[in-house]
Amino acid sequence: MTADPGETQAGPAGAGISDLTLDAKVAAADVPPELVAQSLGQYFRASWLRIRGGNSGVLPVVLAIVVVAIGFQIANSKFLSAQNLVNLFEQSTIYMLLAIAEIFALLLGEIDLSVGLVMGLGSVVVAELVQPTGANLPWWVAIIVALLASAAFGAIQGTLVARLKMPSFIVTLGGLLILEGVAIIVLGGSLVGIGNSGFTNEAYLYNIFWGSFDPVVGWILLAVIVGAAGTLLWRRDARKRRRGLVAAPRSLVAMKIVLMAVAGIVVVAICNTNRAHVGTIEGVPYIIPIVLVVLAASTALLQRTRFGRYVYAIGGNPEAARRAGVRLPIVRTWCFILAGLISGIAGVLFASWQVSLTTNIIKSSNSYVLLAVAAAVIGGTSLFGGRGKTIHGVLGGLVIGGIYNGLYLIGVSSQWIDVVVGGVLLVAAVIDVLSRRGAPGQK
Amino acid sequence: MSADPGETPAGTAGAGTADLTLDAKAAAADVPPELVAQSFGQYLRASWLRIRSGNSGILPVVLAIVIVAVVFEIITPEHAFLRPSNLVYIFGLSTVYMILAIAETVVLLLAEVDLSVGAVALIGGVIAFKLVQQPGPDWPWWAAVLAALAICGAIGALQGALVALLRIPSFVVTLGGFLVFSGVLIIIIGGADSSVNLDTSVPNQNFIYDMVQGLIAPFVGWIILAVVVVAAGTAMWLRSAARRRRGLVAPPLGLTVIRIALIAIVGAAVVIICSVNRGSTLKSVTGVPWDIPIVLVVLGVWTLVLQRTRFGRYMYAIGGNPEAARRAGVSLPSIRIWAFALCSATAALGGILLGSFFFGEYSTNTADPGQLVLYTVAAAVIGGVSLFGGRGKAIHGVLGGLLIGGIAYGVSLLNLGSLSTPLQYILPGGVLLVAVLIDVLSRRGSVTGV
Repeated sequence: MTADPGETQAGPAGAGISDLTLDAKVAAADVPPELVAQSLGQYFRASWLRIRGGNSGVLPVVLAIVVVAIGFQIANSKFLSAQNLVNLFEQSTIYMLLAIAEIFALLLGEIDLSVGLVMGLGSVVVAELVQPTGANLPWWVAIIVALLASAAFGAIQGTLVARLKMPSFIVTLGGLLILEGVAIIVLGGSLVGIGNSGFTNEAYLYNIFWGSFDPVVGWILLAVIVGAAGTLLWRRDARKRRRGLVAAPRSLVAMKIVLMAVAGIVVVAICNTNRAHVGTIEGVPYIIPIVLVVLAASTALLQRTRFGRYVYAIGGNPEAARRAGVRLPIVRTWCFILAGLISGIAGVLFASWQVSLTTNIIKSSNSYVLLAVAAAVIGGTSLFGGRGKTIHGVLGGLVIGGIYNGLYLIGVSSQWIDVVVGGVLLVAAVIDVLSRRGAPGQK
Repeated sequence: MSADPGETPAGTAGAGTADLTLDAKAAAADVPPELVAQSFGQYLRASWLRIRSGNSGILPVVLAIVIVAVVFEIITPEHAFLRPSNLVYIFGLSTVYMILAIAETVVLLLAEVDLSVGAVALIGGVIAFKLVQQPGPDWPWWAAVLAALAICGAIGALQGALVALLRIPSFVVTLGGFLVFSGVLIIIIGGADSSVNLDTSVPNQNFIYDMVQGLIAPFVGWIILAVVVVAAGTAMWLRSAARRRRGLVAPPLGLTVIRIALIAIVGAAVVIICSVNRGSTLKSVTGVPWDIPIVLVVLGVWTLVLQRTRFGRYMYAIGGNPEAARRAGVSLPSIRIWAFALCSATAALGGILLGSFFFGEYSTNTADPGQLVLYTVAAAVIGGVSLFGGRGKAIHGVLGGLLIGGIAYGVSLLNLGSLSTPLQYILPGGVLLVAVLIDVLSRRGSVTGV
């Protein structure tokens, strides 16, 4: 079996290869079903075995999304309206990006509590730099500077964790405190805004979150993306088969492409519905492709590169990874840099979303870190390292956004929403712990 | 050597007794200096060895407090930092950090962490305040305080059970707890813009109001000080005499005398400072605030529990090496659950004192659970409690809390304008990182540290 460590989590994959004496069921549960199945029927049986073995992947979070959607739709029929769904996605965007950032730390078995305030820092930097009365930099320069600042902060924290072996939760707790101060200093006065459409640079920033594609452009983009991704999937598979490697059954690939196309059509159709009370607001918001690009890039990095394999190896067993020649400090530092960078991207979107930033908004960005951890864990990322993908962050973010949106829609006050989200985090952590116990070949 | 596991962290004590082949210096560094020293000179030498090896105890935080005091005295306008009125205010401000840091220490000793401690403390405060309301439940103050401690203890036990029985990482459980209880806090306060107030004209409510704001008249302060010093001195003297009579290793006589004298001098200094009029010439304000004896009692109780009981020894044992403790027959789940429960109950007392410090008013403006927990963990670690478990005492929490309170108040005195708010975040964050760095490095340098 040529198990690709990028596709299985490093821990169980190692167990699957070495323990050939284990019974077939256990071994099957440890290997991605595409690799053992020769037909679609076999694929489903293998997937079911895998889920039973504790490798449930995205299934629980998808179920959670369905439950949330049905529950709130019953409570308030507006929940699944096109207008609210776009609104819900907008609210979830920040959670999704921060959860992706957090997953880079979680995969190592570390945690980054500063992602919320790195986002806060990124947002004030970008907003300050485009002020016509201040720096007045072009919008894209401001974004690059904000991303660099965020990544640099991640690098400092990562160095403290990786080189000095300080516990990550304390380093990032201290980092969070310091950033809260730094962000308020950068903010200077009490308020900075990007809402003045008279200035081109501010308008560009504003449109990152609030702008959308023309409906026709949305359809064309979808066709291009599905065409490209479909071709890529199909050809990769064909190449594997040509070279005599284990490949997924053809029908499965076709099904995946069709599913992707259907999901895309549904999203574009929803977004192209007019969602304004007065006048016309329609089209796919820019943030959807932004999230997709971050998701695709981080997925490719983690699943298809040596760096990604090292990340899973360290999360699975740092000592084993070290003895295998992985240089832990470098990989760890880079993970924190990436967490900072992605939080910075969230920061740019946050500035655009909030339009004007105040000291209070910066302080409140602190609470996002809890939701980011919750989103990642709810999505199916393990707190113990080595298990998780960035898609989990996106799906978990959607659950959190859905809960917030739904509870708000049915008139629940914000403090109760905190209680519910905290409870969901605890439930997700309990499931994480229990599923690790149930999994074969696990501690 | 009859090393008392209650006095050294269990991890190091075990190693110190077992590795008799180690060189004498290394062994000496692992044992409390009172146990090896026969004279005062030897004691100082043994202490120095211990500090060199990473067991620096309270020395760094005391030095830090002195430095902070001197620096702020120099740079504050009119050199106001060390004025008696400010010192008393700083102690009041620090009270909540001290109590919460003691509570956090209990959990940190097990190598766990409680991030919900701020929210739980505030819930405890609001519960106590709500229960004495009139019209309302109108409970006697002591019943309200006990109820708050019990409810928060139950909350802690619940979180502890998730940590101890399911082995979910404590920072995740308490992060979830932080979210849940921050929401609950606003709900029981009665909404985001509500507040709970004490009516000081009602004696029952005034008692809780007085827990920080109340004053003990100077001459009563002197009497209490005399009683405390005599009692503590007699206890120390008798204990070391009893040890000597039974042929056990005891600290040198000179050391005991110096310790008693130190307690008396520090106590006298505190009473003198508190006896200076810090009001105006028209309305004089003098006396020792109640929170000083309250903090001392909490400190005393926790020091006894941690250093002199089996429960305390088990805590250090688990923090030093949980697997070794388990094999030695310690029931890890029950100790862990108790630690979380007692942490939360202690925190509840801190929350009540916080409300009293803010003149008997609880609102969502005065109560920021996120800020509180960060300051609390920082206070404990700055005080010298290790994040890796097994190393720390209640006194570390008190000193760390004083340092954090001193920094927070000193910054606010500086008239920095727009910089003063950010500095209140940056300084504790920086101090926290430096403290952890020292913790990490000292563990590397220490003989038996992992």
